[in-house]
Amino acid sequence: MASIGIITASIQRACTKKLSTQATTGRALRTTHTAANVVVPKLSEKTDNSHHSQLLTSHNPKELEHGIHHPENPDEQLSNSDRRFSDERWKNGTWDLNMFVKNGRMDWDSVIVAEAKRRKILQVYPESSVNEEPVLFRSSIIPWWAWIVRSHLPEAERLNGRAAMVGFFMAYFVDGLTGLDLVGQTGNFVCKAALLVTIVGVLVFRRKEDVENIRKLVDEATFYDKQWQSSWQDPDALKEQIIISKKK
Amino acid sequence: MAASIALKTFIGLRQSTPENNAIVLSNPTAVATSPRRRLRINASKSSPRVTGRNLRVAVVGGGPAGGCAAETLAKGGIETFLIERKMDNCKPCGGAIPLCMVGEFDLPLDIIDRRVTKMKMISPSNVAVDIGRTLKPHEYIGMVRREVLDAYLRERASTAGATVINGLFLKMDLPQSKNAPYVLHYSDYNTKTGAAGEKKTLEVDAIVGADGANSRVAKGIGAGDYEYAIAFQERIKISDDKMKYYEDLAEMYVGDDVSPDFYGWVFPKCDHVAVGTGTVTHKGDIKKFQTATRLRARDKIEGGKIIRVEAHPIPEHPRPRRVLDRVALVGDAAGYVTKCSGEGIYFAAKSGRMCAEAIVEGSENGKRMVDESDLRVYLQKWDKTYWPTYKVLDILQKVFYRSDPAREAFVEMCADEYVQRMTFDSYLYKRVVPGNPLEDLKLAVNTIGSLVRANALRKEMEKLSV
Repeated sequence: MASIGIITASIQRACTKKLSTQATTGRALRTTHTAANVVVPKLSEKTDNSHHSQLLTSHNPKELEHGIHHPENPDEQLSNSDRRFSDERWKNGTWDLNMFVKNGRMDWDSVIVAEAKRRKILQVYPESSVNEEPVLFRSSIIPWWAWIVRSHLPEAERLNGRAAMVGFFMAYFVDGLTGLDLVGQTGNFVCKAALLVTIVGVLVFRRKEDVENIRKLVDEATFYDKQWQSSWQDPDALKEQIIISKKK
Repeated sequence: MAASIALKTFIGLRQSTPENNAIVLSNPTAVATSPRRRLRINASKSSPRVTGRNLRVAVVGGGPAGGCAAETLAKGGIETFLIERKMDNCKPCGGAIPLCMVGEFDLPLDIIDRRVTKMKMISPSNVAVDIGRTLKPHEYIGMVRREVLDAYLRERASTAGATVINGLFLKMDLPQSKNAPYVLHYSDYNTKTGAAGEKKTLEVDAIVGADGANSRVAKGIGAGDYEYAIAFQERIKISDDKMKYYEDLAEMYVGDDVSPDFYGWVFPKCDHVAVGTGTVTHKGDIKKFQTATRLRARDKIEGGKIIRVEAHPIPEHPRPRRVLDRVALVGDAAGYVTKCSGEGIYFAAKSGRMCAEAIVEGSENGKRMVDESDLRVYLQKWDKTYWPTYKVLDILQKVFYRSDPAREAFVEMCADEYVQRMTFDSYLYKRVVPGNPLEDLKLAVNTIGSLVRANALRKEMEKLSV
């Protein structure tokens, strides 16, 4: 089914060409070959490194000076950089949303996963951007609640669960230490302040890395100002600053 | 380089400059004891008149900054010497100038090879967004050949009365006393003593250092270092029909493969395209990034011949010290290149002009000796006018060039018409237009939404493996 789709697509492309003959023959040559070699939808196969390096060498200045634009040998066509992302649900530069319907309802989760997979593939194997096959998909088409249900809710559940456990044991210990029972704790000012600090802290510092990240952000935000202002400052203090910033 | 994507949403909220506490008028004592003056600035009205001659100023470096400085100085009646080492220097440069530069500097229209009116921004996942729908018919980004532009500005300076010297600046001797002249040592290439040039000296009262990113004048005054990016560019001649696509279109590629903290570009020049990329943090991998840029643009530059490979450092921020005594730095030597877009030509020319104007004013058209305080007037004016621009572009770079999700969000945002309009307004005219607050709010919400979505997708990507 994949090969049929690719053959029809390649025939369409070959027919609607407006480019010069040289480019057409080049592209037709490439498309017929990709049609001949069936491209697996999930694109999990890896070509061996010799193809990869061969394509890169064909772009070095010496070869380009002779105007070589396609490897002469057709067998080298299917190499890493020539291969384009393809998926049965990816049509005309966007995801065909009709193919993501499950049990009569739209399955946004699989759209998110499919798009993540596409971006991952492009990250690991970058592709050239082709004007004839523009990417038209925009992630804004996925409704906001789908993102929340998928990403936000599980983490919220985890945090709430941890908060509940910590809260229970803290209430127990404070009761043991001070004798204030739960009703008394909620009336006490110190306990309420501590609770506020805890909640804000958990929201801001969710993981260990967040402390370091926030400190780096503050440094980053003010670094540029420091660099500009240094024209007006004492040169020695400035040298120290530059040394410190270089160490970071 | 390319159009700067400046979201001028929060401009106007912060008007005061941070440098107001700097200038201190102290009594002019004990100057001879400390050769390195700190913030001891004396009013120049007490400077002696220069008798029998005009003020002499040397402009080291004949690029846009040097050319404009020399012209303004010469027009102001000051005896100007413009020292340039290579008159036909073909600089590795994007070559993009904003529309306002044509008007402000009276550039003839035939200097501009191409008028770019469309831009394409391409995200890491090849989402391509067209920018430029909001441009009016008379608006464009001018692409120039640096050798043509620089030669024209030098020619104008020479016509205005500056002496253009073809020579290489070697070093300068700082003055030993308050009003003693600077002595410049340079190799004059004009004489008939062969390729090495004849060593000569020149005595001047003030120096404008416009000699670019590796400025020797800056070393001479101990101006300090800056962080710099490496820009690597290949000029590729492609076939005519492929060139037609780039007739008035420039492309920007963003992605970790192309550059970890900058972008890759394809800019059209007179009859070829310039394909390049740059980076600050991973300078060693620049060739890899260049290959990736060529790969991303592969279909559009296929069959092209590389006719030239060039690379150059680009300053990321101003040098710690831009003025010392009667020496001032302008242009790339001072580090006036914006972040995010890497634009430097306009700011170089403008800073050259501003510095020269400050000298002309401080010396009353060459009658009086100038002082550090006069040159600091230029710094103050420059910082006040352009610090917001630099700051906003810095924020944009930090927010949107930090990771692939951020770049995806960036490209998504650029599709918005409001963003395009604000961007081009601020880039082409270098002015801050107060936006519509409601639109600003919508833009902020959309930006956050894009960033959140892109980051959520990144988390999904981390769970997968290919």
